Amino acid sequence: MSAAKGDAGRDPGSARYRDRMIGLFLLAAALFNPPLLGLFGVEGKILGVPLLYGWVFGLWAAVIALAALAGRTR
Amino acid sequence: MEVGLDWAAVLIAALAYLSALFAIAHWADRREAAGRSVIASPTVFALSLGVYCTTWTFYGSVGRAATLGIGFLPVYLGPTLLMLLAPLVLRKILRIAKVHRITSIADFLASRYGRSPLLGGLVALTATVGVTPYIALQLKAVAVSFDALTGGTGLGTATGPFLDHGFLIAAVMALFAIVFGARQIDAAEHHPGMVAAIALESLVKLIAFLAVGLFVVWGLHDGLDSLFGAAAARPDLARLMGSEPALGHAATPGLSGGGPWGAWVATTILSASAMLCLPRQFQVMVIESVDERHLSRAVWLFPLYLLLINLFVLPVALSGLLTFGARLDPDLFMVALPLKGGAGWLALLAFLGGLSAAAGMIVVETVALSTMLCNDLVVPILLRTRRRALARSADLAPLLLAVRRIAIVAILLFGYGYFRLAGSAYALVSIGLISFAAVAQFAPALIGGLYWRGATRRGAIGGVTAGTLVWAYTLLLPSFARSGWLPASFIADGPWGIAALRPYALFGLEGWDSLAHALFWTALANIGTYVGLSLFDRPGAAERAQAAAFVDIFQSAPGAVRPQGEQPPDWRSAASVGDLTRVVARFLGPQRAERAFAGADPDERAGPDRLRLAERLLAGAIGGASARVALASSVPAGAVETVELLRMLDETSDVIAHSRELERKTAELERATDALRAANERLTELDRLKDDFLSTVTHELRTPLTSIRALSEILHDDPDLEPDQRQEFLAVVIKESERLTRLINQVLDMAKIEAGALDWRIEPIDAGQTLAQAVAATEAVFLERGIALSVGIPDRLPLVRGDVDRVIQVVVNLLSNAAKFTPSGGRTRLDARLEGGSLRVTVTDSGPGVAAKDRDLVFDRFRQSGDTLTGKPAGTGLGLAIAKRIVEHLGGRIGLEDAPPGPLAESGKGAAFWFTLPVADGEQERRQPWIGGID
Repeated sequence: MSAAKGDAGRDPGSARYRDRMIGLFLLAAALFNPPLLGLFGVEGKILGVPLLYGWVFGLWAAVIALAALAGRTR
Repeated sequence: MEVGLDWAAVLIAALAYLSALFAIAHWADRREAAGRSVIASPTVFALSLGVYCTTWTFYGSVGRAATLGIGFLPVYLGPTLLMLLAPLVLRKILRIAKVHRITSIADFLASRYGRSPLLGGLVALTATVGVTPYIALQLKAVAVSFDALTGGTGLGTATGPFLDHGFLIAAVMALFAIVFGARQIDAAEHHPGMVAAIALESLVKLIAFLAVGLFVVWGLHDGLDSLFGAAAARPDLARLMGSEPALGHAATPGLSGGGPWGAWVATTILSASAMLCLPRQFQVMVIESVDERHLSRAVWLFPLYLLLINLFVLPVALSGLLTFGARLDPDLFMVALPLKGGAGWLALLAFLGGLSAAAGMIVVETVALSTMLCNDLVVPILLRTRRRALARSADLAPLLLAVRRIAIVAILLFGYGYFRLAGSAYALVSIGLISFAAVAQFAPALIGGLYWRGATRRGAIGGVTAGTLVWAYTLLLPSFARSGWLPASFIADGPWGIAALRPYALFGLEGWDSLAHALFWTALANIGTYVGLSLFDRPGAAERAQAAAFVDIFQSAPGAVRPQGEQPPDWRSAASVGDLTRVVARFLGPQRAERAFAGADPDERAGPDRLRLAERLLAGAIGGASARVALASSVPAGAVETVELLRMLDETSDVIAHSRELERKTAELERATDALRAANERLTELDRLKDDFLSTVTHELRTPLTSIRALSEILHDDPDLEPDQRQEFLAVVIKESERLTRLINQVLDMAKIEAGALDWRIEPIDAGQTLAQAVAATEAVFLERGIALSVGIPDRLPLVRGDVDRVIQVVVNLLSNAAKFTPSGGRTRLDARLEGGSLRVTVTDSGPGVAAKDRDLVFDRFRQSGDTLTGKPAGTGLGLAIAKRIVEHLGGRIGLEDAPPGPLAESGKGAAFWFTLPVADGEQERRQPWIGGID
């Protein structure tokens, strides 16, 4: 949860940042919903965690990481 | 459960914790007053958004996971998705709220839709009805978890010295909300103490959840692998780890039971809209926002918070089910598991985490709701019904604060009453998502109002009303039926046995999850009415102006556009500065009023600017819709009708909206003025030229006339004149008359050419023949003056475009000019040759030449260089000017250069006049071999 220094002063209105976030929203909306999510409802484990559970949280973390990066990289 | 903690110790710990929150809030308020704000931090902002996670998250997620597996997640994935859209949607809402000094979501919607008090009141009422039971749920959660911790039984009744824990908690929360949430009257200002306490609470509940989770996984079990392994061995638990309970097609009816994937999608959408529309979320996210740039950190930090607080939900649920089976309500696993594991302190921490979640939710929700109720319900009613009583009061701030505080207490009492009444009824347990669905009815009007300029007040009111009615029918009433307050047949058979009206299968829409079913019908009714009414509505100018102000918030800098319209005459009967000062002082206190209108004469008419300022100030305190009504009360009784003043305010908004248009028109007008001024200057110049021309012509005419007259008089008066003398005089008279005739002809020619009245016969003409004619016409003059004229015209020249008579005139003028300036015994030569696509004719003389500075002037009218040679005008001064105009009319060019050194101009002097004429179409190719001439 260490907060990055760089993002506080960034303009949240820049078109590039905005477009990236809209793209990320569409991607996340597709991945977080039944047809795609249901594909992982199978038996199996990943790192000792049920596959579906690990997949959802992994995906969630990746989306958050991308959201943080979207405002930081050019 | 078996071994509870001492209830007095738990109570003291809880009170100590709440006292610490009071201290933190007080400290943050002090820091703010000292100018060192603690809430001006993006991290604090993101943490304060954590008020989204109530006890419904803290205890309820585990309960949901115990039946739905990962089905508890959409409630958090929805807000995550919404935060991804923050740069688009939230940023705009934040900016609008700041510019228009919005005090709540009800105020936001009312302001957007023509400052409608009706819409504001409707939203405030819907939010209160929809959300207050949610507060009851928090009270219940605290009471139940207290019992679980201390080993008590029942619903937390009669174990303490006070009425019960629920009441105690409600009382403390009311106190906190009153002290830190309703202390100042300007609701658009921030509540730093409250926000700081919320951020801290968010941290505490996260730490508590993580601590319990770590303890459960690694303390009670041997890590994740072992826990999930043990659960996988039990078929009933193994299915929780798959997708079937959350996404499959289990046919268990009801909200908390498993459902098809429609529930997943519906929950995602509802929680995303709740993140925006819940009064407490709107409060922390929009009203309390200090800096919109904080959003860019909250965009990822808040979802990260949600992820972390949900990380151990499923492990805790599985562990609880393994440990307690069906003996214990899964909602209590968070407290019961540490207690069972012998970690009493951790159970206490978990309880405090749950208390944090409840306290944060209750405080912010009641503050937000009380602001709404005060500004959008009570004040408009007071202003309409008790106007005279209000007008007598000099300072209404205490009254407003009292209204808000009473509202806080009333909401909490209502919540507490609901908790006591509903108890463990279904209506309370399921209220989380039902509340989400209620506030989701604001979403279409909110989002539509940001981007659709054509959305109108009637559309918004209709949409919210229709959506709320359908919500009540498809979710609220069935929840009452399932609680036993309505007959069960209401759900099974429909009211009066009408199957088509069954609330969970409206119009025969069967097999849907009840939440998805309700979402579908409410969205259809809400959005359909909203769009339909808006499309056929004709909003007034003021409503349109306000809509544009919201939709185009990024196009115009706030305050940059000032109304420029002149004060219409009916303003004179309206409010004075003194009236405005009084009304602002009444709501905001005398100091604010003094500051706002400092330096203005109280008797002066207020005017649009000051009215707008007063409206803005009042909006920050009592909301946009009430501010206008309050302003109406500022006018002395009888001076002007309320309706009239409201109309004037509307016009003011209109003026602001259209002043941009006005500025554009002013700029156009300035450009037109500049063009007119330039045209006028040119006309003046032309007038001056005309005067010059006239005086010059007059002078030129008088010179020969004078000599003719003088000589004629001599001849007349003196009959004895010598015949020779007489002959000489008569010759002069004839010559001067000829000159006069020539001059008049040329002036006429010139006038005709300039007026475009000359008859042109432009056709292909034989250049050689034409030149020969001109030479023949002037040969006599050269002969007479003793000048040698030589001609170099090629045998066969191409046809050129021209008018024979005019071309002859040009050549004659040039030759006459040469004859005039070439001294006797000199030479003149005429040459013609093809050059490019045109015929170039040159007349070279061995005269004195023309000084470089005069070369551009010799083609002007009446410019003569003749007097430099002979001391008197040698020509009319119009010959060259006429030649120039003819050549240019025929599409050629005319010019003057030094005569080339050579046998012709031995002295190196002399002038070479030349002009060109375009070769006639189709002639160029045929005559190619002769290019260059044969001279």
